[in-house]
Amino acid sequence: MTTLTEPPVATAAAEHGSREPGRRKPTASDLVVVLAVLAVVALGLTTDRFVTVANAKAIVTSASLVGIAALGLTLVMIGGSAVSLAISQTVAAVGMIFLSAQSLGLVPALVLAIVGGAAITALQGAVVGYAAANPVVLTIAASFAITGIATGVSGGSSVSASGRGYDHLNATPGGLALSVYVLIALVVVVEWVLRRTRFGRTLYLVGENRPAARAAGMAVGRTTAVAWAIAGALFAVTAAFTAAFNTSANVNLGGTLTFDAIAAVLAGGTPISGGRGSAVRTLAGAVLIAAVSDILLLRGYSTGVQVMVKGLIVLFVVVIVHVRTKGRHA
Amino acid sequence: MRLSSLTRPESLVPLVALGTTVVAFALLPAYTDSGIASFDVYNTFQIFARLGLVALALGLTMIAGEFDLSVVGTYALGGMLAVQAGQDSWATGVLVAVGAGAAIGLVQGLVIAGLKIPSMPVTLATYIALLGLTSSLSDGLSKTYSNASVTLWVDQTVLTFFSPRSLITLGLFGVAALVLGVSRWGRELRAIGGDRRASRVAGVRVDRLVVGTFVASGVLSALGGALLSFSLGSANPDPGVQPLILAAAAALLGGVSLAGGRGTPIGLLGGMLAVALLAEVVTVAALPAYVTQLFYAALLVVIVVIDAPDLRNGLVRARTRLRPPAPTAPSTRNDTGALHA
Amino acid sequence: MTSSPSSARIGDVLVRVDGLVRTYGSTRAVRGASFDVQAGEIHALCGHNGAGKSTVVKMLSGQESPDAGTIHLAGRLVDLGSRQAAQRGGVALVDQELSVVPALTVMENLMLGDPQVGWLDRRRTAARRFRPVLDDLGLGHLRLDQPLTDLGIGERQLVEIARALGQQARLVILDEPTATLSDVESAHVYSAVRKVAASGCSVLFVSHRLGEVLELCDTVTVMRDGDVVATTSTADLTVESLIVQMLGELPERPDRRLDQDTESEVLARIDGLSVPGRVDGMSMTLHAGRVHAVAGQLGSGASEVLRALAGLEPGASGSAVVDGCPVHLGHPSGAARAGIAFASNDRKSEGLFLDKPIAWNLLATRLGHLTRLGVIRGGRWSSSLARLVALCGLDPKRSGHSVGSLSGGNQQKVFVGRSLGRDDVRVLLLDDPTRGVDVGGRAAIHALLRDAADSGMAVLFASTELEELLDLADVVTTMHQGKVVGRHAGRTSGALLLREMTHGSAADEPSAPAEQPPGRAEKREVHA
Repeated sequence: MTTLTEPPVATAAAEHGSREPGRRKPTASDLVVVLAVLAVVALGLTTDRFVTVANAKAIVTSASLVGIAALGLTLVMIGGSAVSLAISQTVAAVGMIFLSAQSLGLVPALVLAIVGGAAITALQGAVVGYAAANPVVLTIAASFAITGIATGVSGGSSVSASGRGYDHLNATPGGLALSVYVLIALVVVVEWVLRRTRFGRTLYLVGENRPAARAAGMAVGRTTAVAWAIAGALFAVTAAFTAAFNTSANVNLGGTLTFDAIAAVLAGGTPISGGRGSAVRTLAGAVLIAAVSDILLLRGYSTGVQVMVKGLIVLFVVVIVHVRTKGRHA
Repeated sequence: MRLSSLTRPESLVPLVALGTTVVAFALLPAYTDSGIASFDVYNTFQIFARLGLVALALGLTMIAGEFDLSVVGTYALGGMLAVQAGQDSWATGVLVAVGAGAAIGLVQGLVIAGLKIPSMPVTLATYIALLGLTSSLSDGLSKTYSNASVTLWVDQTVLTFFSPRSLITLGLFGVAALVLGVSRWGRELRAIGGDRRASRVAGVRVDRLVVGTFVASGVLSALGGALLSFSLGSANPDPGVQPLILAAAAALLGGVSLAGGRGTPIGLLGGMLAVALLAEVVTVAALPAYVTQLFYAALLVVIVVIDAPDLRNGLVRARTRLRPPAPTAPSTRNDTGALHA
Repeated sequence: MTSSPSSARIGDVLVRVDGLVRTYGSTRAVRGASFDVQAGEIHALCGHNGAGKSTVVKMLSGQESPDAGTIHLAGRLVDLGSRQAAQRGGVALVDQELSVVPALTVMENLMLGDPQVGWLDRRRTAARRFRPVLDDLGLGHLRLDQPLTDLGIGERQLVEIARALGQQARLVILDEPTATLSDVESAHVYSAVRKVAASGCSVLFVSHRLGEVLELCDTVTVMRDGDVVATTSTADLTVESLIVQMLGELPERPDRRLDQDTESEVLARIDGLSVPGRVDGMSMTLHAGRVHAVAGQLGSGASEVLRALAGLEPGASGSAVVDGCPVHLGHPSGAARAGIAFASNDRKSEGLFLDKPIAWNLLATRLGHLTRLGVIRGGRWSSSLARLVALCGLDPKRSGHSVGSLSGGNQQKVFVGRSLGRDDVRVLLLDDPTRGVDVGGRAAIHALLRDAADSGMAVLFASTELEELLDLADVVTTMHQGKVVGRHAGRTSGALLLREMTHGSAADEPSAPAEQPPGRAEKREVHA
């Protein structure tokens, strides 16, 4: 509950010797949130086969690929750059690189993919950070450029793997997809970076008020570029897993990932305006969407209904988070 | 028209975009065997009609300083509703689609204006929800439109170059241009996009205008979807991401800024025509499709560069550095730092 | 529709404000304000920051609804629930903040929100109405279809004033209309306002410039702590008696100025600093342990000198040397590396991180000292925080609170505190250090700055307020239209400073190239 409502920054500050004194009076929005959570839980408990280990595995597995990319987007959003609309395209291009580099072996291919993803995205981040370019327009341009180049280089056909090393990424140690472990490890790392490092703190400050950070002489451009570079590396991890799963990659590999990732970040309660958000929240958002889709699936609803409910969840969280943050200032 | 007004971004960007593509179009005979046929012009307007209303809808919200990502969701839903409700009478189909579009716009507008939420996350959520709704209305399948006479009518050739569909689309651009040109709405739309606080202080009914803009956006997108479904003879529940990106590109090439306050329906028309012309050039010349992508990328990068504030600061700084030191007459009286108490 | 102003006879009570109350959370901003304004009267509303003037203006212009109390316009009880309702009721407003839209043309701005403009744009009718007002305000040279981005700040402000005066309202409210204007422009405003009042309209004039209030207005209502203290005819007032009404009693003025005989080390040397169109070849030296001031009205270039030193003016040229190291002008991070810290006059958008805790704000610029290999060291963080909180006189229990929840004075303490207690900050720049700060907070901030100087920094602040200049600064440099007018160390008279700030000096820079007008302000005078 509180993970949804309290900004993590307050918790982080509290650890350094200060605590929000006094409890807030419960408001109407508290009630709405409690009711909504209860409704989801009740719906889950009354759904046949929802509360099983196998189902839980299914949920986290389906959340993992979107979750990793959404982690990257979380950094972009905290840093005040709103969104990247080039995630699908980046994933597709990096997936193609990853598969065609399989002849080098798994690890070099992975390194190449991550470096490639980080470089492509860091370039955009640098333009946003140093020149204050509009990230939405820029990433639309980047999505065209990436797809254009990828299509041109690949001749528009699918790339298939030049080796078998990628199959290790499809492993399921302990019955769980490898991507789930990777997601959890990455959440821990990203959360730690955000809370405990100079980069993390600077990112929150830049995201909250870019002109102020600039006037204070903080490294706005560098911080933004680094955030985007990490985001690109995380997109690349998603790309490697997706490509390995599909065993071939073309320019459509990314599918609807851009919007799925944005939905997960927003559903976690991170506001698009920047300065707030956390890795844990995004994980919660990704799992929430996966769980609700799963409930609907088990209850026999069509994909269409699942997608619609996903949209409504995002809408609900966006509105609630906005109302609550505004309430805090009044 | 004054020359200076042509050099402002809202005219310059669409002029350059349209000019480039028109030149590319006119030079077609130079790199293909066939000359320009009137069919090519007809086709260009058909491509234009396909996304024109979505681009107009998105562009209007951008002028008002908002960003309505849900246009493509409404577009898909409008197409589906027009087919499902309009099997017997096209008018019923259009009415249902437009009504739904208006309702969606109204709800979004009320949420965004009433709670003062940034529009992008809200409309993104609506976009996802509408795609889901459309898909669940048709069980995820394409729906055929059996009223073949309507299909034939909307795409018949009129005046060599046009079809009823492209004329309706052009007409709506004209209506938008007229309304925004002669009424207070045009001024107030750009005002709330440019500086919302100042507009409020000046006495503009900001909230009403925002709601109205979203309603207009919903109506236009739904109508665009309905026309497309009639033309194709079927409704597709998932248009994909491409229409949204193309509509946004068309709006940006039309001289609209994401920061708001800038742009006109005529500019939007220019931007959308540029996109359509380019698609036609690529088809006729049988160029690989990625050329289009790279062209869009290049044009949008130019737009980004024009609009990036810190880049401009950097240029000013560089100019200051490069310029030889200005011959400021050193005032010998005060610069020693001696304090004359 | 607005009734024409001639429906009220000069001398009738046109506006009656009775017992207005407005509470924000736990603070009562206005506790029962009552006053009358007659038709044809120019009525001043004065008071210190936080006295409740702005809230009264907001209630009269329909931006806020009163919790209690009534407003009568021309004898009728009115409910001004929104800006539109107020406009229809005949209340025109020039807001405290510049409220014209740069994306529009001059004409479009004039017509914006005008209740007399219908759905269809009748530009010619509107042009006929506004053209004479523009001429009165000295804007005869403007084309109506000129985009506002072509205009300077002063001209934009005049366009906003023209919008209000041209609406033929019953009541025109001008909230600090002349703060960003040159003297010539202000004079135009005065005559235009007199003309509007003479036509039978009421004018409510809010201003900090007491001289202007006494010269222009017929009556002055003074507010203090949310109450109306008195409404007096200007004939019975002097600047001194007005100040007494505003402050309650004249504040003690501690003479804490350093003895100027003691030599102190030159810490920074600024030579030929220029910002195109704003500052023209400004030179000065900063001494360690002293508080320096640049005094100048808005548009004088005082503020831009600070911004240029802080790296926020990309077009700045000239040289600045701090402690022997040249400053790389044009980059904020370059200034920070050179040991310059800057506190902007716009705390909200260019200063603090309002949503973040006090702790984060205080420590934002010294993260490098609190981390090892990029990782924050909790112990150092806490100890630095405790030291700074004590230094700034903030409540240590509240360091987890967001800065946005603090009062203006405490916010400013946090902002200043960010640059204190550090070895690497040598020069502290503050633009209007006590904007939006009440009297108590002001003294605390002055003490803080004095301590900063005593610790060996050079402090340089820009201000327009005489009181602050006289209280705080050891050395005052006055500026007018981009140029230095005079320098004063030790005891100076306020009148002298004021004259230099507003008029320049008689023997003004004989060597200056006359063919190159340096500032916008001067350019505007050429037009006028």
